[in-house]
Amino acid sequence: MLNPNLFPYLLGLSAFLFTVGAMGVLIRRNPIVVFMCIELMLNAANVALVAYGRFLNSEEGQIFAFMVIVVAAAEVVVGLALITQIFRLGRELDVDDLSEMKE
Amino acid sequence: MLIAASPVPLTFPGGRDLIGILPELVLGGAFLLLMLLDLVIPASRRSWLAGFALLGIAATFGVTIWAWFDANPGRLVYSGSFAYDRFALFVDAILLVSAGLVVMISPNYLNRRGIHYGEYYALILAATLGMMLLAGATSLMVIFLAIELLSLALYVLSGFSRHEERSQEAALKYLLLGGFASGFLLFGMALIYGETGHTQLAQIAAAIQGQTTLTVDPLLLAGVLLLFIGFAFKISAAPFHSWTPDVYQGAPTSVTTFMSVTTKVAAFAALVRVFTYTFDGGGTHFYQHWEPVVALVAITSMVVGNIAALTQTSVKRMLAYSGIAQAGYILIGVAVGPVLLPSGQTSSFGTIGVLYYLAAYAVTNIGAFAVITIMAGRGEDLDSYDGLRGLAHRRPFVAASMALFLFSLGGFPPTAGFFGKFLVFTAAINAGQVPLALWGIATSAVSAFYYLRVGLLMYQRPAEGAEEYRWSRTGFSGSAVLVATTAGTLILGVMIVLVYTAATASLKGLIV
Repeated sequence: MLNPNLFPYLLGLSAFLFTVGAMGVLIRRNPIVVFMCIELMLNAANVALVAYGRFLNSEEGQIFAFMVIVVAAAEVVVGLALITQIFRLGRELDVDDLSEMKE
Repeated sequence: MLIAASPVPLTFPGGRDLIGILPELVLGGAFLLLMLLDLVIPASRRSWLAGFALLGIAATFGVTIWAWFDANPGRLVYSGSFAYDRFALFVDAILLVSAGLVVMISPNYLNRRGIHYGEYYALILAATLGMMLLAGATSLMVIFLAIELLSLALYVLSGFSRHEERSQEAALKYLLLGGFASGFLLFGMALIYGETGHTQLAQIAAAIQGQTTLTVDPLLLAGVLLLFIGFAFKISAAPFHSWTPDVYQGAPTSVTTFMSVTTKVAAFAALVRVFTYTFDGGGTHFYQHWEPVVALVAITSMVVGNIAALTQTSVKRMLAYSGIAQAGYILIGVAVGPVLLPSGQTSSFGTIGVLYYLAAYAVTNIGAFAVITIMAGRGEDLDSYDGLRGLAHRRPFVAASMALFLFSLGGFPPTAGFFGKFLVFTAAINAGQVPLALWGIATSAVSAFYYLRVGLLMYQRPAEGAEEYRWSRTGFSGSAVLVATTAGTLILGVMIVLVYTAATASLKGLIV
């Protein structure tokens, strides 16, 4: 059994990773990096789920984390395909340039 | 605060469990079959796929109707992960009708745009499947998976016009902001799971009821807030709406028709189940912690949506902002929550309002977008206000139905939208939340300006020498959809009893 005193640090780590991810989405301009930051947010939640599952002694958290990993993989497939297609259409990869429709 | 969790007994899925997800199973089967058929059917016969998709939707609808009578009383299936109750089935029916109408208008539109690929119908069914699962989900895990299933299908659909930059841009924006929202949703779920020890809504509700007023867990509250932010993105409520106008404008119009309605319907169903019925805390103390946030987001949506819609010059963008405002009105019904009556019973008037509004919004908004989809010319979208100028002189019936949809969105009697607004505002006043109702009424008055402006444009004569937009022929399927949505808007506006009774009946069996 892990030392229960470790738990707050694990939750803190997860919150820190989540914040880094969220800030990255707001600040970075390259869609691939933004995408990586979103993955970081999802994995921060995974850390929290696994940590809670371990300390609550329940399996649900671990199973939930597996589901999230699968979903994140599926999202990467769609996301990278879209980014590649935009690149093929001859666009610079910058989120700020995606403003074809601004009034 | 850590609570030791008791292990949930696992049961082998038996026949009763399978019957509980029968509509979803039928639709899932149709989805897989459609993917196979796409490989067999030649490219020149792609419209057949629409027929098969329609068949699958109709079969699912039939099963849903049967299940409506079977699911009385409803029950939880799969160890409490999914609800087989009338509430879910009522929402399923709205979703299936919407999907069916969208499939009917799609082949002609996609052909004109030159993007008629077979995957379209499979993706529509996959998204609908995700929405139906979301409507019945009673476990955080199922909610997350259902939201991702519908979102992934919609990301691909909004980028369906592969060689058009606008469509790709819309898809990428939707994907990045949708993924961002999923992050919030998931982190909220992780916190709620950790602080209550469960992922099943019923056990979460029990854990929340155990908390007294003084010792509300701050991490649990943070989780609830993050979860709400995730949902607010999906229903495009302000201030989480920034993706909506661009995505609605850039996506192919038939896809916009689909997602503007169905995503909201499904997400609101989950919102009602999670917030109104799980987080109510049995009494009122826990409800008091999240209600102000929901009410604030509702007011912001109504104000931002209606004011931004005033200055638009694109029909699709105007309808996008109108959709943001409508999300605000429906949120009133969620914010009102279950009200404890003096007699000791809880009144679910707000939720009935939500269900009625969703049904009304579905027929009306599909109608309005269907007009734009059907009238769109070859290779381009009917996007600007100028494209509608003079429509009434060339296509009087189409213009008349569009005017009816705009009236309904604006909430004028005797249309569906009037009773939707009437019910949620009444619920707010009954619950003592008069300011919410007043904000709603004031912003509705503002909305009349931009709805009527578009309506008047259609009845104006085009300027001398100005070129008229080259509208497409309505066609049989287009006329059928317009007749159906017009009839629906009028029926929901005149014979309120029909849907009201169904909504009330669906609430009696609601389980979390």
